[in-house]
Amino acid sequence: MGWFGNLFAGVRTLFGGNRVEREMDAELSAFLEASAEDKRRAGMPPEQAARAARVEMGSANAVKHRIRSAGWESALEELAQDLRYSLRMLAASPGFTLVAILSLALGIGANTAIFSLMDAVMLRSLPVDEPGKIVLFGDGKAAGSTDSLPSESSTLFSYPFYRDFSQKNQVFSGVTAIDSIEFGTHGALGDGKQEMLHASLVSGSYFSVLGITPDRGRMINEADDQAPGNGTVAVVSYAWWQSHGNDPAIVGKTVRIEGTDYTIVGVAPRGFFGVTVGESPDFWIPLSMEKEISPGWNGLQKKWFQSLYLIGRLKPGVTVEQASANTNLNFKQYIRSEYLGPSPSQKDLADVDHAHIDLTSASRGLSRLRREFSLPLQILTTIAGLVLLIACANLANLLLARGTARSREFGLRMAIGATRSRIIRQLLTESFLLALAGSVIGVAGAWNASHALLTMASSSPQVAAMKVSPDLPVLGFTLALTIFTALLFGVAPAIRATRLDLNSSLKQGRTATVPFSRFSLARGLIVSQIALSLVLLAGASLFLRSLVNLTSIDTGFDKQNVLTFSLDEYSANLPLDARLVTLQKQIEARVQALPGVHAASFSMFTFNQGVWSDDLTVQGVPRTPENSNNVFYNVVGNGFFSSMSLPIVAGRGFDERDTIDSHPVAIINQTMANLFFPNSSPIGHHFGMGDDLSHSGDIEIVGVARNAKYVALDEDPVAAAYFPYSQRVQYFGNFLVRYSGDAGQIVPAVRRAIAEVNPNVLVSSVSTLNEQVEESTANQRLIARLSAFFGLLAAFLVCIGIYGLLSYAVARRTSEIGVRMALGARRSSVLWLILREILVLVVVGVMIGAPIALAGNRLVVKLLYGLSPADPLSLAAAIGLLSVIALFAGYLPARRASLVEPTVALRCE
Amino acid sequence: MGQKSGDPKSGDMVQGTLEMLILKTLALEPMHGYGVALRIEQVSQGVFRVNPGSLLPALARMERSGRVKSEWRATENNRRAKYYMLTAAGRRALRDETDSWGRQTAAIARILET
Repeated sequence: MGWFGNLFAGVRTLFGGNRVEREMDAELSAFLEASAEDKRRAGMPPEQAARAARVEMGSANAVKHRIRSAGWESALEELAQDLRYSLRMLAASPGFTLVAILSLALGIGANTAIFSLMDAVMLRSLPVDEPGKIVLFGDGKAAGSTDSLPSESSTLFSYPFYRDFSQKNQVFSGVTAIDSIEFGTHGALGDGKQEMLHASLVSGSYFSVLGITPDRGRMINEADDQAPGNGTVAVVSYAWWQSHGNDPAIVGKTVRIEGTDYTIVGVAPRGFFGVTVGESPDFWIPLSMEKEISPGWNGLQKKWFQSLYLIGRLKPGVTVEQASANTNLNFKQYIRSEYLGPSPSQKDLADVDHAHIDLTSASRGLSRLRREFSLPLQILTTIAGLVLLIACANLANLLLARGTARSREFGLRMAIGATRSRIIRQLLTESFLLALAGSVIGVAGAWNASHALLTMASSSPQVAAMKVSPDLPVLGFTLALTIFTALLFGVAPAIRATRLDLNSSLKQGRTATVPFSRFSLARGLIVSQIALSLVLLAGASLFLRSLVNLTSIDTGFDKQNVLTFSLDEYSANLPLDARLVTLQKQIEARVQALPGVHAASFSMFTFNQGVWSDDLTVQGVPRTPENSNNVFYNVVGNGFFSSMSLPIVAGRGFDERDTIDSHPVAIINQTMANLFFPNSSPIGHHFGMGDDLSHSGDIEIVGVARNAKYVALDEDPVAAAYFPYSQRVQYFGNFLVRYSGDAGQIVPAVRRAIAEVNPNVLVSSVSTLNEQVEESTANQRLIARLSAFFGLLAAFLVCIGIYGLLSYAVARRTSEIGVRMALGARRSSVLWLILREILVLVVVGVMIGAPIALAGNRLVVKLLYGLSPADPLSLAAAIGLLSVIALFAGYLPARRASLVEPTVALRCE
Repeated sequence: MGQKSGDPKSGDMVQGTLEMLILKTLALEPMHGYGVALRIEQVSQGVFRVNPGSLLPALARMERSGRVKSEWRATENNRRAKYYMLTAAGRRALRDETDSWGRQTAAIARILET
């Protein structure tokens, strides 16, 4: 018949049901008749012959069934039957179905959401050509610029080195340089209005090395990255193009960015976001325009201005080891000849000896996000996995109880000819249906949840632009998870339920003889649920307590009632001289005069915005290893200390006396004062930046400010110094306003005041100091919130599990309880009889869970502040909460048992 | 495949041999289901009795795999019955199975003799 005939016959059977059925009937009756006739001929009476023939054949239906199972279509038919039957059975107990689907939806949804986040942040390859072939020079951990002599593993490089290396290199088919900072700037398309833009500055080789072909127009090439200031071209991202009208004639249009016109030469392909996960530049601009984009970033000719990431594409056949050897050889030669003078010091020589480049794979791109998220994501993955396990255990338990309740049904089905494997198959179909429904709801939820998770973890709008909704690999993961889940919770109960003694199960099965093993599996499941939820709850209370510790840290400044404006002064197009200072003073004075404003100031940094640090030399104090550490510097306005409510504890603050012509001054913090002047007042002493003694008289200390936190809440006390901007002219991005009253009225008033002074100073966003402080703990907040949520969810599932198990046990033991009560047991002792069972389960669960929790918590020690991972209070709180929940869940069925009327119970038998 | 016959005295049918026996029986001439059962019983002198619960599903299976084909015909006493006959694939299968059966029984016999 061949496969085609087989297929055809199968389809015919599936759809032409009646005809095939008639044929089978005809064949069977022909067989019967022939057999009976044969027997008659052998001398049997006709009646008897017909009966004997029928007995020989057995059940005609069973035979027909077995004939049908000869074809592949019977498997489909059975599946359809199983599905229909399963749907009916699930619909018959909506309560069970709802609980099962919801708990699975939460479990699967949580795993999907977190996996899609993990996929986007940690696993996905860059959308470039052959991502496995590109390598990053160094680890990409540092960003910004450094002017120190390379003395260890380097990751930031100068433009001259990039040029030199590109020429000499023999191992890469191409090398590209990317500014390690993505610039936030302002620009306008054509005559449109000014808007915030993110620009990535890249070398001319960038797109060819990554193998990116344009969606339209052309990409930046080597010709654009030649003479500084001449590469006035830009490539825009697909998303930016889409959000600006999807203009088919975009190529050739001009964008004016900070006073320079750029011609848009092309659109990058859809989905290309550069090489940094978590950033999504709107523009790519040649490095030759560095100074025009950011005037402080003028380093194309400076070999000490090391601010670039380098990425190379390995030549075919070249291994990373070969490339590394060649790269380091070139690098060492370069720094020896370019960075060391004719007679280098011993120290410099030794430093240079240690300088090297580690080539790391760039296939998944660079990412600060990945480093920050890696531990939290691992924790969240574990938590979500545990929740799913608990949900599975819970469901297995419910199914187990259901299986016992349905033993009569199974007995009946087996008695009329269903095989055990068929019933198991049908039960597994039920499980798969549940898991499938759960995962459909879960994925729908995860669609939104993973994005919410991301924005919870980071408020940066660029991070929010990342694509994290579940894609094909994520859906594949979910499908695998669904199947795994269904097997996990479905198999054991299905096997258990069908292990039947037909005779006893067909008699109304409410006897006292329940096999003990069925109970002990259920108990084991409850115990493991308790143990796992204890792990979750202990972790959650640890994270919560750590977060409380963290947020109650004294920042040193008053974070309440301070607005922080992000602005762009560079767009005012003023040079870096007294004119800029005048503008800044005018803005401060104008804003300070507004009603409700107490103080206003520009500043380089507020909190958690990065650092400018260097070591320093104090006049008259010898340098020691202890006092040669880096000091955090900040440049601020006169009103900074009152804006932050950061008291000056000695000396004076900055004021009108400090001008570009007066002697440079600084205010230091208490830590620095104690470090250098433990027994005397620092006021009037001098220091200089760096380790050069001849500069140690440069700056006079005029005041001491209270210690504060600068970068993170949990940082150790660190030495810091402030300088007035009147003596260090620069553009600012931060403007602080301390106010009282309604912020909703202050914000527009401040915007108006700034625009009145100079309409070209662009205010992009407004936040509060409090939000900045909170954002520095976003990770801890995220974990604390989610672990608490999942911990409570787990406890709730345990609640359902215990309630289900006990309700069932009480129902089974009604007659036993009746006998006890008839014999004089009091209600309280019956109550205790049941509750005691719960207590035993809780104690065993805690004894298993507590060591796991303690061991697990040790892994998260990095995320804890002011707590030992073995914090007894957290564990005790978790145990207490779990016990209360368990006893509560057990109390209801126990009470029901204690209210049993002996007469009723005994009649049940 | 191998089914116990209804008669407790007769031996168990060796696994997988039913199809071979059916093929061999049908190699002589096309036959209906009962005819096959009767022929196997007679030729084996009552050792194998194939009941319809095994025979008809086996025939359906073999028809699906293309080793036999069927046709409704009139019987010797003018009733309609489904007649099965070998296909070319069935003939090949019979040859292969007979060969391997021969090898196996010879091997088993050698083992039992030593």
